[in-house]
Formats: sequence, C-alpha cells, structure tokens
Amino acid sequence: MTLERTSIDTARHWPSGGKTARLAVMLVVAALLQTTVAPNIRILGANPDFALIIIVCVALMKGSETGAVFGFLIGMLTAIALMEPFGLSAFVFVLVGYFAGRYAETADLSAGFAPLLTTFAATLVANTLFAMAQFLLERQVPVGFFVGRVLVPSLVINTLLAAPLYLVVRLWLHGAGDLRVSRAR
Amino acid sequence: MNRRRVLRRRIVVAILLLLSVAMLTLYFRESDSGIARGAQSVVLRVVAPLQNGTARSTKPFRDAWNWAGDLFSAKSENNELRKEVEQLRVGVAQELTTQAENDELRAMVKLRDHKIFPKGVRLVTGRVVARPTTAWYSTATINVGSTSGVHVYDAVVNGAGLVGRVTSVTANAAGVTLIIDQQSYVDGMVMPGGAQGILGGSVTGDVTLQYVDKNEKVKVGQDVVTSGTSGPRGSIFTRGIPIGVVESVGLQEVELYQSIAVKPFVDFRKLDLVQVVVR
Repeated sequence: MTLERTSIDTARHWPSGGKTARLAVMLVVAALLQTTVAPNIRILGANPDFALIIIVCVALMKGSETGAVFGFLIGMLTAIALMEPFGLSAFVFVLVGYFAGRYAETADLSAGFAPLLTTFAATLVANTLFAMAQFLLERQVPVGFFVGRVLVPSLVINTLLAAPLYLVVRLWLHGAGDLRVSRAR
Repeated sequence: MNRRRVLRRRIVVAILLLLSVAMLTLYFRESDSGIARGAQSVVLRVVAPLQNGTARSTKPFRDAWNWAGDLFSAKSENNELRKEVEQLRVGVAQELTTQAENDELRAMVKLRDHKIFPKGVRLVTGRVVARPTTAWYSTATINVGSTSGVHVYDAVVNGAGLVGRVTSVTANAAGVTLIIDQQSYVDGMVMPGGAQGILGGSVTGDVTLQYVDKNEKVKVGQDVVTSGTSGPRGSIFTRGIPIGVVESVGLQEVELYQSIAVKPFVDFRKLDLVQVVVR
C-alpha cells in the first residue's frame, strides 16, 4: 500500500487551467468543423464526423472523466448550432467519451492503431445509438439504408481520418497526452 | 482513494447522462418559448457569427472540394481535358466562389421578378452557415433571424426553387427544414395539367409527390411547383414556386393513388445563399 499516485490516477486528474483553455478552444473548433465544414466534405458517400473523432482523441489523451465532459459539451454545442433537439448528441457523446477514456486507462495505448480502433468502435456505437433514437422518435430508419449508406461509409471515413486528427489533437494538447507520458515513466 | 475516484468518475458520467436525458425530455415537452429554446437562442447569438465567419472563410475550399468531386465523378472526360483542368485548378477556387455567388444572386432576382410572391411579401437574403452531417435530419441553419423579420413557417427559396421552411428562429439565426427531410410535407402540383399531391421527403433524400389521383396523366420531365394559395391569408408556400421535375411515375393497378418521384431543382449538397419569404 502506498499513498503515491499511480500513473492511472494521474490520468484521472482534471486538466489544469492552461490545458482547460486548450480544450475549450478544441471544443469550439470541433463544433465549427462539425457544423460548417464537415457537411460539405463527402467521401465515399459519407460526411466525416469530426466531433466524434476529436472526442475519442481527447478521451484517449485525457481519460474518461474529461472525455465524458468534453463529449457532453460538444454534443450540446453542436445541437445548439444546428438547432436540433438538445440532449441526444450529448447523451451519445458522453458514452463515447467515457468508454474511449476507459479504454485508454485500462488498455495499452502504445500500439499505433489504438486511435483507429477506438474511433471505429465509437463510430459503430454512436451511429447505432443515433439510429435507435430516430426509431424511438418515430422517424424512418430503413435498415438497408442505415447499414449501407450511413454506418459502413462512416466507419471507413472516420477510421481513415482518426490517425491524422489524433496527431493534430495531440500536438495541440501538448505532447503525447497525460496518460501516455505517465505510463512511460 | 482509488475507490473514491472510481465513484466520482461514475457519478460524473451518471449526472451527464441524466442531464442529457432531462434536456431531451424538456426540449420535446416544452413550448416554443420554453427554457431550452431560450437557452439555445442565447447561445446562438454568440455561436452564429462564428459559424458565419467559418462558413464564409471556408467557402473557397468547399467550392474547390465540390468542384474536384464533380470532376472526379466525370470519368468519361478525355486525357486532354483532364490536363487542362489540372492547369486551371490552381487558383481558381476564389473566382469560382465569386462567380457562383453572382449566379445564385442573379437567379434569385429572376425568381422574384417572376412575380410568384404576392404584394407585401419581402425576400430576406441569408446564407447557410451550418448543416448536420447525420443522414437523419435534412436541415440547415441560416444567418438571418427574427431581427430581420423571419418567422417560423416562412418559406425558404433560392434561385433554383423551393428550399424548405423555417422551423425555428432566434434573433440572428433560423433553422430551416429542407423539402428533402422526412418530416417535410408541401402541397405540390404537376405542370402543365395541374395534378395535385403532397410532396414528401425521405431519409434517403428522395422526394415523392404522393396521393396524386391515378386518373391524372403525368409524364416524366414535367415540372412540379407548389400548389398553395396566394393572398394575405394564403398558404405557407405560395402557388407557383418551382420545386423540381418528374423523374418517374409509379402507378400500380391495386393502388388508389400514383406516387411520383421528383428530382428537386435545388442542389441541396451545395446550398449556400437562400431567401426567406417574409410576410
């Protein structure tokens, strides 16, 4: 038994003032990218989900609590910007941020494919949850359309974009992120 | 210590999830002047100018992207043309943007000059500043709101024809539900002939004129326009706003009505400048 903080404990700390400011800038940029740029970029029939990928990247670097809060805020901000119902995106993004962060806290992130794998899983979960929500809201959700024109193209494009965006987010948030730095100690 | 951290983490997530569900419930249950929409309006006052700036500054890149995308899909072009296009591609984005905007504005003026809209109607020009990436909603946020006189249910058009209707308004922004959205319904008629029906969108983006009498003769290539009534107490969509062209006619013996696939005149992928029909 020791009172010294372990590496995982360090990762669970809330970010300092400077890092919070950087996260806030990242939040606004992600929301603007998601609402103004992403709708105009169409690759393989799908639009990239910058918000989702950035949440995954932040959660991988900052842990589950920060990931969940970041996901909630970005969900709210995009819903406001798009004048959509509140709460739906926030709910899905909280789960994505939390579980991506938990993955970072419990699994070995040294492998380069970790952001790709996490983004793939996050896209799968997020799209499925969004589709379920649409079904509950009594909107059309044709399974063939969902799988062929929403899910598969999104999985491909988001996974492809995960690596470059991870690098950009990592650079912006300084270095390899708290978690990876602490693990290397 | 560790247990306390785990507990805190779980509490944070639980609170955020509960908050999300509470916000969602509140949004659907409250009136249009409720707390959630009020908060949305306040935040949008700050966010909308940022969106506007981003949309404007990224327009040349978006146009270049669309242009490159269109080129990519035109596989039948010969090699000589491709080389020429490669040479022209550099530096052309800005000029394309200006030209496209001029064309859009000219087309909008042309639509106004057709005198489709009754006297007393004002057209407020705005720009699309945000679009959702999800396939489930076909909506857009525009940079004009109640301070410009925009109201909920106002029709939205551009130079090509009908875009949609305003479904939410804040001081300096408005949410527009596009006619391709699955919850959009517009009274439409086929011209010439005047066969009437209800034009509905879908999650796939296809637009269909439904409930058209099966005895009506409709041909591929005919125009579809709004069939509403004009005047001070007229319909949301004034009569005669161009919507699209008949793409195919689905007529089955067992059905009471025919269903007509319509290709909208408006290119919703490249939606930029629009006009709100303010009464």
